[in-house]
Amino acid sequence: MKLKYSLFTRRAFLNGLLGGGAAALAAMFIGPAVKFIFPPYREPDEVKLPAADAASLRPGEARSFAWGNKPALLKRAESGSLQAFVTVCTHLDCNVTYKPELRKFYCACHQGWYDENGINIAGPPPRPLRRLGVSVEGDVLIIRRQA
Amino acid sequence: MNRLALWLDDRLGISAVLEFMTKKDVPQHRHTIWYYTGSSILLFFGIQVVTGVMLALYYKPTLQAANASVARIITEVPLGWAVRSVHSWSASFMIAAVILHLLGNVFTKAYRSPREATWMTGVLLLAVTLGFGFTGYLLPWDSLSLAATKVGTDLPKAVPVVGVWVTKLLRGGEDVTGDTISRFFIVHVCVLPLAILAVLGVHLFLIQRHGMSLPVKAEKQGERAAPLPFWPNFALREAGVWLVLLGVLVTVAVLFAPGLGPAANLMAPAPAGIKPEWYFLFMFQSLKLFPARILGASGEEVAVLVMMAGLLLVFLLPVIDNRPAERKGRIVSWFVAAAFAYTVAMTVWSLM
Repeated sequence: MKLKYSLFTRRAFLNGLLGGGAAALAAMFIGPAVKFIFPPYREPDEVKLPAADAASLRPGEARSFAWGNKPALLKRAESGSLQAFVTVCTHLDCNVTYKPELRKFYCACHQGWYDENGINIAGPPPRPLRRLGVSVEGDVLIIRRQA
Repeated sequence: MNRLALWLDDRLGISAVLEFMTKKDVPQHRHTIWYYTGSSILLFFGIQVVTGVMLALYYKPTLQAANASVARIITEVPLGWAVRSVHSWSASFMIAAVILHLLGNVFTKAYRSPREATWMTGVLLLAVTLGFGFTGYLLPWDSLSLAATKVGTDLPKAVPVVGVWVTKLLRGGEDVTGDTISRFFIVHVCVLPLAILAVLGVHLFLIQRHGMSLPVKAEKQGERAAPLPFWPNFALREAGVWLVLLGVLVTVAVLFAPGLGPAANLMAPAPAGIKPEWYFLFMFQSLKLFPARILGASGEEVAVLVMMAGLLLVFLLPVIDNRPAERKGRIVSWFVAAAFAYTVAMTVWSLM
């Protein structure tokens, strides 16, 4: 169907074309600038520690290590198996501390508590602490991301 | 001399501004005292600019040097401890003045038509001012400032979809690191100052455009004395207020200089008894009280959304309170008073 009159004036059409072109041009520059302000970061796939570090741990004892930029903790459970946790509170990202005498993790920021297996038990934390996989290969202890 | 003045005026048009200033009136009534809060903010802002530039001469925004450079400022640089103390205290005084300014305008309902935009630019200035406080708190890089920044930058994560990106944008990555210091520093000394000058320019222009607001009662009943000329009468009184505030600020800064904890360790547990700056305490206390799960959402999701809704309500207050002299206006006043009481109660509770 052919309309008898135009829906746009010529001026509106040209203004739209010009404005749209300017917006596209701006987007071409803003896109890369936005990319620039987010630096790349990859979490480690695995962290290697000397197995001797773990061998000296008695049940209930723990030692800390770095998981990329985050603090983490290697702990021997009462059952004798090794556990690894990212010791960052699941509430608002504060670093938690392990209190061996209470067998609990504690976050000082908003008084959050986790039990010895990293399960949130009191205070605001919504989820358990993140667990990492532990395996021993020869004299190396390998800490891996857990699915 | 006179010819030089005329020549300049031909080019700059200053006489029009001066004439406006000499004709500007300040109304006098029972609530005139609130008019002084605005210029008090300007005083503290000016002090922040001057002392901030001074501190930046020595401060180094890197992971290795940040804490040590602040230690150098307060132990080695002549009067560095005093400059840093004035900067820190003046920040608190500025925010206190901002809060008083906001309360004064709420209780006299100064945001009534046609001053809605003045109020809204004021709320933007409040947000920028809190941004100054938040970014500045990290810069000394001790364990307290690290924990506060981890929490503050983690909060946006609770916002659906965009939240994770906001956190990355603020931190410069997944975690708070040395990149976060550089980022907070440049935002504190460049981005926010540009933003505050732009918004402040509009805010001050709008105040001149509409003139000083009158409280509802003073407007209705003509319950007011003859207005005071801004120049020189009101300006002289403001100068007196500035002098007193300056004296109090310097006294407090000299007697109670802030300390500096050991350099923050990214791997260390958060220290016991952490607290944010006093003006964020009510949020801090609320976050502690929110349960882990509320109706399927996490506690912090609900908390963040409530805070955002609160800020939006404050921003839109002139639109909500559009019949200030009627029953609706009184209901709004009661809600505002209740919100204020909640904030004070939470702050006091967090101090106990």
